[in-house]
Amino acid sequence: MEEFKQYLNDNADEAERRAAEQVMEGLQGLRLESKVAEVAAERAALYRRLHWRRIFTSMVALALLAGAAYLFFVKNDTPAPQQQPVEQPAKPPFPVVNQDVPSENTTEKTASDPIAQLPPDERLPNPRYPAPDASMMRGDAAAGKNQQALLDQLWYTDYPLKGLKPGNSFKTVDKNLKKRNFNAAYLELEQLEGFLTKNDTLRYLKAYCLLETGEGNEALAYLDSIQGRHSAWEPQLQWYRGLAMLLADERGKALALFKQIAKSPGHPYRRHAAKAEKLLAM
Amino acid sequence: MRITEWLAPANTCRQFDSNELLFEALKRLDNKAILCIQTKAMPSARKLVGQYGLAPDSAEEVLNQSTLIFLRKIKDGSYQFHGHAPSTYLVEIMRRVALMMTRTNRKTHETLEDHHDLQDPDVEAAQRQRESADLVRQFLAQMGEPCETVVRLHHIDGYSDEEVVRQGWTRYSTTDSLKIKRSDCMKKLIQIAQKWRSSNNI
Repeated sequence: MEEFKQYLNDNADEAERRAAEQVMEGLQGLRLESKVAEVAAERAALYRRLHWRRIFTSMVALALLAGAAYLFFVKNDTPAPQQQPVEQPAKPPFPVVNQDVPSENTTEKTASDPIAQLPPDERLPNPRYPAPDASMMRGDAAAGKNQQALLDQLWYTDYPLKGLKPGNSFKTVDKNLKKRNFNAAYLELEQLEGFLTKNDTLRYLKAYCLLETGEGNEALAYLDSIQGRHSAWEPQLQWYRGLAMLLADERGKALALFKQIAKSPGHPYRRHAAKAEKLLAM
Repeated sequence: MRITEWLAPANTCRQFDSNELLFEALKRLDNKAILCIQTKAMPSARKLVGQYGLAPDSAEEVLNQSTLIFLRKIKDGSYQFHGHAPSTYLVEIMRRVALMMTRTNRKTHETLEDHHDLQDPDVEAAQRQRESADLVRQFLAQMGEPCETVVRLHHIDGYSDEEVVRQGWTRYSTTDSLKIKRSDCMKKLIQIAQKWRSSNNI
């Protein structure tokens, strides 16, 4: 009240005094509004700063966390021991027991579950291709499954056959075998047999076809017929005879043969035979 | 500075050791003091807004309107310091403002001054002051320069005459000439107000 007296005329009337009061009230209102607006802006800036601080801190924390996680995983990512690359079967038509990964129940092996496994120190790369499906040839499904698993672990077969050089007559056969089209190759060989009698190459190729199609007995017959006649073929032929014996369910004969191969120094299938020997002994 | 302090809202009341100091600073319309009580009262504003079913963004409005009422009461002497925390009184005002806003929202077709049932003297006084402020704003615009600036710098922005002269915000180079001019402008302003009152039969 005292403040605005100085602005009033000495002879100010009531109307002028009320107008002055209203002006002073309005000015005070404007002053307070201005102050509150100023403080609101300060407060908003304060919250904004706090907001950005929190975002910044969260980002730093996340970065630290990511860094720690990276270090943790990099540290624990110890280099795996160098292993020979193993080619897996393209599409196994049945469960394959992988010798590199022991199954859960290896310690609980029973007579009814004789799927053989090798200790890690005896490991060989897995065969490139699975064995032919021979399980249907046996009446006992469980035994057939075990037999199949055993064969899958030992099915070290390869084409071209080592030491064999098929001539022009076998061009189509050779082509089909390289494509692993054994049925087509076998039919071709059947036709060739008409005019290529007593041909060892033909017999060996037929034996190979029969082996890969799961015909153990017939394959064995062909392999036996050419056994010992071509030294260059002999090591692989011996191994294939063993496989044919297994296919024909002649385990005893197969084991004896594998033992013999395993004992032969420098035999290219010595390690394979040792593996077969151990698997059959289990 | 610890990280928790860095992340927590700044303690805006650090420099006010006692409620009395805070009250004295509020009387001077010190920005830090206003910020201090507003920061203390803001959580209550958010809570009240929820309790009274107002929009969540109304908390800011409730806080600012209540602060205006509180500061006016301090300035006109209707609020006396008795040792209590000023923010407690601000929260009490906020409760009444929030209630008033709820009632206003229910009767959206009516204006606030039509709510005779509100009968809150503080809210009514604040409303009167707001109307006067709007009028004065019009009158100032009507006067034009240099009166508008001269009056605004002193009465609204709160600058001292020495500061205004030092900064050269007006054409007046001495505090005496500035005071004479302001007195002249205020007389003109009162005359404009008087004319407006008479033309409106007030």
